[in-house]
Amino acid sequence: MARDADVPQQIQTDAKIVVKGITSVFHLKKTRTTPAGEFIALNDINLEVRKGEFLVLVGPSGCGKSTLLDILAGLAHPTSGGVYIDGKKVTGPALDRGIVLQGYALFPWRTVRQNVEFGLEIKKVPKQERAAISDNFIHLVGLDGFADRFPHELSGGMKQRVAIARALAYDPEVLLMDEPFAAVDAQTRESLQDELLRIWEATGKTILFVTHSIEEAVFLGDRVAVLTPNPGTLREIVKIDLPRPRHNSDTRSSAEFGWIRRKIWELLQNAPSDARPHPNAVPVADAISPTAAL
Amino acid sequence: MGKNTVRKAGVILLFLALWELAPLIGLVDPVFIPRFSGVVQTILELYKTGEFVQHTRISLLRAFTGLATAVVIGLPLGLLLGGWFPRIRQATEPLMELFAVANPVILAHIIIFFLGIGESAKTFIIAWLCVWPIIFSTITGIRTADESLLKAARSLGLGRWQLFRLVVLPSAAPSLFTGLRLAAGYAFIMLIAAEMMGAGSGLGWFVLQSQENYHVLRLFAGATVITFLAVLTDVSIKLLQNRFAFWNGGPAENVLEQGRWMA
Amino acid sequence: MSQAGYMNNYLLRSSGVLLFLTLWETAPRLAWLDPYFVPPLSVVVAEIGLLLGTGDLPIHLLVSSWRGVTGLFLALLIALPLGVILGRWLTGLADALDPLLRVLSQVNPFALLPLFLLFFGIGETAKVAVVTWVTLWPILFYTITATRTVDPLQIKSAAALGVTRSQMLCKVILPAAVPTIFIGIRIGASLTFFILIAAEMLGAGSGLGWLVHNSAMNYLIPRIYAGATFIILLGFLLNRFLLYLEKSLFAWQEYPASWTTAGEIRPYVWRPGKGAAIAGAATLSVILILGACEVRKLNQEAMAGAGGSSGHAKHFGTPVESGSGGF
Repeated sequence: MARDADVPQQIQTDAKIVVKGITSVFHLKKTRTTPAGEFIALNDINLEVRKGEFLVLVGPSGCGKSTLLDILAGLAHPTSGGVYIDGKKVTGPALDRGIVLQGYALFPWRTVRQNVEFGLEIKKVPKQERAAISDNFIHLVGLDGFADRFPHELSGGMKQRVAIARALAYDPEVLLMDEPFAAVDAQTRESLQDELLRIWEATGKTILFVTHSIEEAVFLGDRVAVLTPNPGTLREIVKIDLPRPRHNSDTRSSAEFGWIRRKIWELLQNAPSDARPHPNAVPVADAISPTAAL
Repeated sequence: MGKNTVRKAGVILLFLALWELAPLIGLVDPVFIPRFSGVVQTILELYKTGEFVQHTRISLLRAFTGLATAVVIGLPLGLLLGGWFPRIRQATEPLMELFAVANPVILAHIIIFFLGIGESAKTFIIAWLCVWPIIFSTITGIRTADESLLKAARSLGLGRWQLFRLVVLPSAAPSLFTGLRLAAGYAFIMLIAAEMMGAGSGLGWFVLQSQENYHVLRLFAGATVITFLAVLTDVSIKLLQNRFAFWNGGPAENVLEQGRWMA
Repeated sequence: MSQAGYMNNYLLRSSGVLLFLTLWETAPRLAWLDPYFVPPLSVVVAEIGLLLGTGDLPIHLLVSSWRGVTGLFLALLIALPLGVILGRWLTGLADALDPLLRVLSQVNPFALLPLFLLFFGIGETAKVAVVTWVTLWPILFYTITATRTVDPLQIKSAAALGVTRSQMLCKVILPAAVPTIFIGIRIGASLTFFILIAAEMLGAGSGLGWLVHNSAMNYLIPRIYAGATFIILLGFLLNRFLLYLEKSLFAWQEYPASWTTAGEIRPYVWRPGKGAAIAGAATLSVILILGACEVRKLNQEAMAGAGGSSGHAKHFGTPVESGSGGF
């Protein structure tokens, strides 16, 4: 295990994102039912993402995929290893990365427009410009006419569109998405996936998308990184050769789609037998949030 | 957990130490804030002479009578209005809201026309203040019983009484206890006010007497004992709640939040 | 609900109050109750009108409001910063302090009143101090809870943008906490009203509580009823107003923090704008400034009346002259 001091501050690379030897260990406190110990959430993860690529991380709960995303966002720090964006080491959160979370995380006291403008306010963009930018992104996610509504007046799918618009508005080059569509119903989910691909093609962002749905991963990604739990290990990266554009097409029902889905499913099933989750491990991993200390 | 308890106890000990030391080193005027040990000594002396026991017994009896009256009236009324007579509830709710706002200290001046200055007037104003949180929390508890739970129970062919006893009452219990806890707190607040307005005994009277005679030590002794009794009552009801209604904090807490009985 | 249904519901809901008022009018008139001890409603209303006309009621209302608002402001000044600090940064300390704060909040305000009277004399300070003490606790507890329970997802999504500490506080934590804090303020305001009226009966020469007390001492029975009715109505309106304000200010909440059983029909919600805020601030300043003048005048009159020898002036930490011999 490399010590943190050995991690260089800068590396030479053509890739947009480089994940280098990331290991993340949580120290578990003793509780009434479990002894004290260590939980390895991520074990030596190495990954490169090209500029403009759509990479999906897929894996069951407890495989550390959300932890990896938090590290990428700068919200958590790895025990060892480093994450590089354009060759520069990530040391904390910044506006070069946008984040979309599962629970929408909209600010309920702000209207749709005010939510979209949040990052711009932090960036200290003048009010006039803010309005023009937010109009643009509200239009992009198809919420024209809802700009002055409050989140509680929107459906789940609409809320998630606002969250996407909010993350795009301050023009980050990388979009990090942590199971963004997990809380919406199946039909909304498919249309949001179509929408996301359209937005991705329109903006050319680099997207790192975390999900536990294999179908979603195959439908969206250029490549799918398969993670297996306990300890969180990168098992394989599967290249998805399905033709683009995939939205508004029959991609989901094609034979190839089914074949790739099956392959990933097998990868997840055939994890080494000693890597089966410990009965206690899964809930524990869920309970630990690296951001809890914030 | 053990460490936490130690820390919490430590903070209280620290506070008592500060109370002891501050007058000693002249941080506060010992004439106005006597040392903790002096207050404890006064309490013990008053206890020995039997004076305190007398006043405490009278005060506790008054508070308990008022609270008990409120429970005896409020609980059945709340159950009836919340469970069986929704239209009467709707008709009386605004009126009850008005009554709940009626400050018993003011009502006292009207009540004594009818009940005189004796014990019954004191019981009345204590009960008056306590009865509203009990009624409202009972109604809330009954009305917020989970619909799907009721459906499930009905589908098992439960009779009305069984339904009430096995489903409605348990799901209302947390709310009931919250109301009871609030009411017990009010009983103490009102008790002291009542004893200050017109009484010749009791802890409230004792405290007021001490103030009028500028007897600071006795004043602090009285106030400390009153606080101690209030905390003791609150903790006991909380323990009862943990024992009999441990499963839910849900809508019951809203009653605490309403605070509309008093305005 | 249909228009007729809405009306019916409205009638049903007011029927209880209407019946009570009718009884109040008829029972004394038909001599079911002694009209000397229970004056009919119309007599009481006329008395309220009279007291309003002579300016007695408005002055005492102003004085009481001044005491209440001052106490409330002081409590806010102490409890808000303390609550945010304990709720957000010193959470460990907040846990450790919890039992002590709970015990202190249980200290009986009426037992405290004689203590404060002893400290400060029977001037305004004692009453304002009691009001502050009583109001402090709900505001403090609700502020701690509110800032502590801000949705971690909201915090996370703001943190991902690299916001500074002050931006996090002003743009995320405070807006998220304000509705819950407001409940604390509303409860505090209700308690203030309750304690203040009582305190004015025990040691004051002015204010609404004193008005009733004074009427009772002089057997002015219609005036007792008039004062009591006015106070009850005022408390009711204050409570309803604060509830309404809460609903309209925080209409963005998915689950409004307080949803009383009374609110079965959700009426049109007015959203306060700048004008309303200015009007509110103006009202409060008028209460503070005019109230202060009035309180001062009344206290000076009282002192002149008492010959100035009984030590009714404000005392900050110095013994009351006439009492110092007692120790």
